[in-house]
Amino acid sequence: MLATFLSSTPVLQDSWRLCSLANSAATVVTDHVRGVAYVAFPGTVMPSGGANLVALDGAPDGLFPPLQHRHAQHQHEDPPMIHAAILDHFRSFYTSTTFHNQILAVIEKSKAVVMTGHSMGGAVASLSALWLLSYLQSITSSLPVLCITFGSPLLGNDSFSRAILRERWAGNFCHVVSNHDFIPRLFLAPLPSLSAHHPHFVLQFWQLLMNILQSDSETAKIFGFLLPYIQEWVANMEEECVESPFSPFGNYLFFSEEGAVCVDDAAAVGKMLELMFTKASPGSSIEDHLKYGDYTEKASWQLLMRKSFTLGEPPESSYEAGLALAVQSCGLANQESISGPAKDCLKMAKRVNRLSPHLNAANLSIILSKNVPYRAQIEWYKASCDKSDDQMGYYDSFKLRGASKKGAKINMNRCLLAGFWDNVIYMLESSQLPHDFLKREKWVNASHFYKLLVEPLDIAEYYKTGKHLTHGHYLKNGREERYEIFDRWWKGREVGNEENNNRRTTYASLTQDSCFWARVEEARDWLDQIRSESDMRRSAMLWQDIDSFERYATRLVENKEVSMDVLAKNSSFTLLMEELQDFKSKTQQFPPQFPAFLNGEMVP
Amino acid sequence: MGETVGNLIGLNDEVIHPAATLAVEAHNSPSKQFLVKKIKIRHDYSSIVVLAFSGSLLPEDWFGQPPFGKTEIDTGKFPSLTSLNDGGDAVVNGSFLRRFNDVLDKLSHAKELKKAIEKKRQVVFSGYSSAGPIAILATLYFLENRTLSPRCLTFGSPLLGDRIFGHVLRREGWSDYFTHFVMKYDIIPRIMLSPSSTEQEQILNYFKSKFARKNINPAPPSGFYLTVMGNASSVASYEACHLMGCRNPSLDIIKSFIELSPYRPSGTYVFCTGNGNLVVVKNPNAVLQILIHCAKLGESNTAEVEKRSLDEHSAYLSELKECLGMQAVVSLDGGPATATLNDLGLSPQAMLCLQAAEEFENRRSRNLEKIRNCLEKIEVEIEMLRKYKENAQISRLGYYDSFKLQNEDDDFHANVSRLELAGIWDEIKEMLKEFELPDDFEKKPEFIEIGKIYRRLVEPLDIANFYRHRKDKETGPYVIGRGARPKRYRFAQRWLEHDENKPFGSRWESCFCAEVEQLGIDIKEKGYLQEIKDRIHQLERNLIAWIGDESLDDDVLLEDSTFVKWWRDLPLECKSESDRIENLIRGKADRL
Repeated sequence: MLATFLSSTPVLQDSWRLCSLANSAATVVTDHVRGVAYVAFPGTVMPSGGANLVALDGAPDGLFPPLQHRHAQHQHEDPPMIHAAILDHFRSFYTSTTFHNQILAVIEKSKAVVMTGHSMGGAVASLSALWLLSYLQSITSSLPVLCITFGSPLLGNDSFSRAILRERWAGNFCHVVSNHDFIPRLFLAPLPSLSAHHPHFVLQFWQLLMNILQSDSETAKIFGFLLPYIQEWVANMEEECVESPFSPFGNYLFFSEEGAVCVDDAAAVGKMLELMFTKASPGSSIEDHLKYGDYTEKASWQLLMRKSFTLGEPPESSYEAGLALAVQSCGLANQESISGPAKDCLKMAKRVNRLSPHLNAANLSIILSKNVPYRAQIEWYKASCDKSDDQMGYYDSFKLRGASKKGAKINMNRCLLAGFWDNVIYMLESSQLPHDFLKREKWVNASHFYKLLVEPLDIAEYYKTGKHLTHGHYLKNGREERYEIFDRWWKGREVGNEENNNRRTTYASLTQDSCFWARVEEARDWLDQIRSESDMRRSAMLWQDIDSFERYATRLVENKEVSMDVLAKNSSFTLLMEELQDFKSKTQQFPPQFPAFLNGEMVP
Repeated sequence: MGETVGNLIGLNDEVIHPAATLAVEAHNSPSKQFLVKKIKIRHDYSSIVVLAFSGSLLPEDWFGQPPFGKTEIDTGKFPSLTSLNDGGDAVVNGSFLRRFNDVLDKLSHAKELKKAIEKKRQVVFSGYSSAGPIAILATLYFLENRTLSPRCLTFGSPLLGDRIFGHVLRREGWSDYFTHFVMKYDIIPRIMLSPSSTEQEQILNYFKSKFARKNINPAPPSGFYLTVMGNASSVASYEACHLMGCRNPSLDIIKSFIELSPYRPSGTYVFCTGNGNLVVVKNPNAVLQILIHCAKLGESNTAEVEKRSLDEHSAYLSELKECLGMQAVVSLDGGPATATLNDLGLSPQAMLCLQAAEEFENRRSRNLEKIRNCLEKIEVEIEMLRKYKENAQISRLGYYDSFKLQNEDDDFHANVSRLELAGIWDEIKEMLKEFELPDDFEKKPEFIEIGKIYRRLVEPLDIANFYRHRKDKETGPYVIGRGARPKRYRFAQRWLEHDENKPFGSRWESCFCAEVEQLGIDIKEKGYLQEIKDRIHQLERNLIAWIGDESLDDDVLLEDSTFVKWWRDLPLECKSESDRIENLIRGKADRL
């Protein structure tokens, strides 16, 4: 149904129109239609460079920071990697001075941006869209971006696709693939076999193909030249399919003579790419790469046609009927051997859980309310610790807790809440929740308060069990990914004007920096190190760190952004500060002139 | 079969054809704003008064500011036409609204109407083509006024209002009063689903010359079908995606790249299949799908369909004459009947959309059932909080203040109850916002009542919690109509206000403590400004009124409560009702 919607909109046709312009002009072309900016990348330029994958983090110019950023929990996965030649090719656009200006000028006067391209241009458009999305994220802009590619080759590996999913950008990509087009499938056949047989196959191929695009007269000649290669490649492909390092991302819109289907599940896309290709011939696989214009135009006509079933008996349920229609739209209905697997594949893509995102969200608030008592108990715990006689505050009470029932209960609540929030994040990333979920104040606020309240306990647990000795400090090595995600949600929320000019008159009920205690622990560690440090240079560095911590802590306390428990008489923060003052006064003979240290001058 | 249109739409059959005739006649006599005719009903000797409006084929009377010429409806004339759940006011086509306003003055003074009211006769407003929307607005106007209970019949009318518009009609139970006849291929009922374009003006020009020179057929324009229907099918497939629960994020991303028409059908639709059958459809989502799917190209070529889509707009009279005589009427509600749908020529895909539309309605009733099951749980928690409140009264502090202090275990349990209730109500709120509950949910007395009780009992606890944590520093003050106040309370308040016909924002008794707290803070920061004094006076007046009608519980008057302590500290010149409130406080102390 999404496919129907997409093809009914003028977006596809406008994109293709501009793509062919870009192809014939061999430059980037921009246009405005009804307030929407279109940027088309030419598919005619031949890429140079190897046909292997490179990791994004290795990139010297730091492209796509959000995709590069990987949390500790994902360290064991492969890094996100993309096709080296394509990345180089994108760089050739990216590094030119006009590129930025051109794109920024386009953004300024439009309400939405479409990046589009045919063939190689499609791959470049995808990367440009990723770049634009990263850029917009860094300036917290919510300008809608859509990337529409026509017959674009596969771009990156599985981690790359997953990184895009995590950023919730998959929905911004729509790859249009016509029936038998072989370019999107090119990398499905394993690369070693491909390049072993024909070292320059890929390169040559592109060059020839682009020649076709440019001149009709030579088409027949080139066609004949290419056919054997393709034949061999097709044979290869049938033998060793889908064992490919490449993985699709975003939506795939498959066009056939009969209609269109839209699939967004990566595994299903891979399978569909394969299934729809089974009836391809070398000729049709080239032709289909070139006639996207026909397909897009026809799609908008087909919508207004009344389609009827070509299948004999009417299906039993509406669910089955929907599937049958989808299979028919792929043009596979009459091919006995394929229609079965195709059906299974589309079924997989449809996913079993059929609750709508909005209902999920409504349901989630029920679950939240069930989890809220756990939080309330922790709040209660905090209050009772703050008031108790040992005056330690709840961070230290929890860290130093004995085998008390109360402490165990709180620890249990902490784990239950963590499970709940991890589930929320999972649902969000697998798009089971509405798209505007993060715009809802309730959820952003709830996650924020959860973070402020519970993260100190996580930190306490971390240092209590001595994990910092084996894994290193919490901030760098122990922080759960969800807290970082909540940080981003909180930062991304829409802030009203009234909030920022309010100055606190009393201490906050919760310390506003949830990592405060982790910083305290680190500062304590530095102080201990200084005591045993004999190397002047090292201890100077440590003093510098401690100094910046002190400034940070003082600012927080002065702005009253800490809660009362931080300043309790026996809290580890108070103890640390006392010890620090004490130590400073003892080392008076060696006054830590911080500015002097900063300048690198050693004061004896 | 065997039923007549009249039975299905609750109107005597004998009135339909005369109403159509009068509507066409009125449309073609622009010199008069409307025509009136009394129709005698044979079998019970009653009379029905039909009032038909004149139409216009000038483009400016159809299309306002591009792309869709929409405007928010004037809630002064139509107070009900607004969403009670943050959806805003209903949006209608501005040009049609303007034309209604032009005719309103004369209409409200029409002696025929006055006579009909006097003699308690049934009134029917009717309109053909562009007069249809005027008839709809006139009917609504009198429904809002409650002076009349008119019916509305339109023939080949373009769409008038958006989703909220239709939602309000169903919420108020008025949806059945509006009946729209639509021919299978008629382009006009679909024309508003497309942004204004030159093609649409061509269509109007064509009809203009056709009506002007009755005998000669002018050359029809071409190419408009693809534009109008292409855009219309975008709307239909977008809605179908939602009905089918599509959760691909691209759906909404793509939506921001195109302009979808805001207009949606409302009321009851009667589709004329062209072979003597009539199909009655009430489900608004199904109506939209049928509107698009039944006019699709079949085997015949585009030019033919294009011509038909124009011709059928002027074929209502002959078609109705045929159909109404026969009793070949089918209602689509309660499951698609395949035979009839074949008459409409719907494809399998269209059938899927219809099933999804029906399933959506079923889901809404299931959701309602689910909420009903929650009522018991809500009552249990409310009962617990009631007990908590009674106990707190003994302490002379009142439950607002003891909850704010959070000293006892009881306070903690009350907090848990509060949070559990919040979860249930937030779910209701989410469902309402996404139209996942039946449209008349907000009019159901049991929910208005429980909402009232819940709000008065529990909201003070939310406020106590809010000011205990000084959340005003983080999220801004707790304001009655917006800001940090949870939406669940705002919604419940609006249900009550709507039910009691009170202006929005007048029933904020549950926020009393918030205003007290906020005034305390504001006085500290700004001093006794005139604006603050006004607020104090308003608060005092409200207090007396609310204690009087028992909508505010009198434990705010306890000696140690936040309010009494704050109020007694106020300088005398700031108080306007000093004696009466002092009396109230003393009265409360005596009763304990």
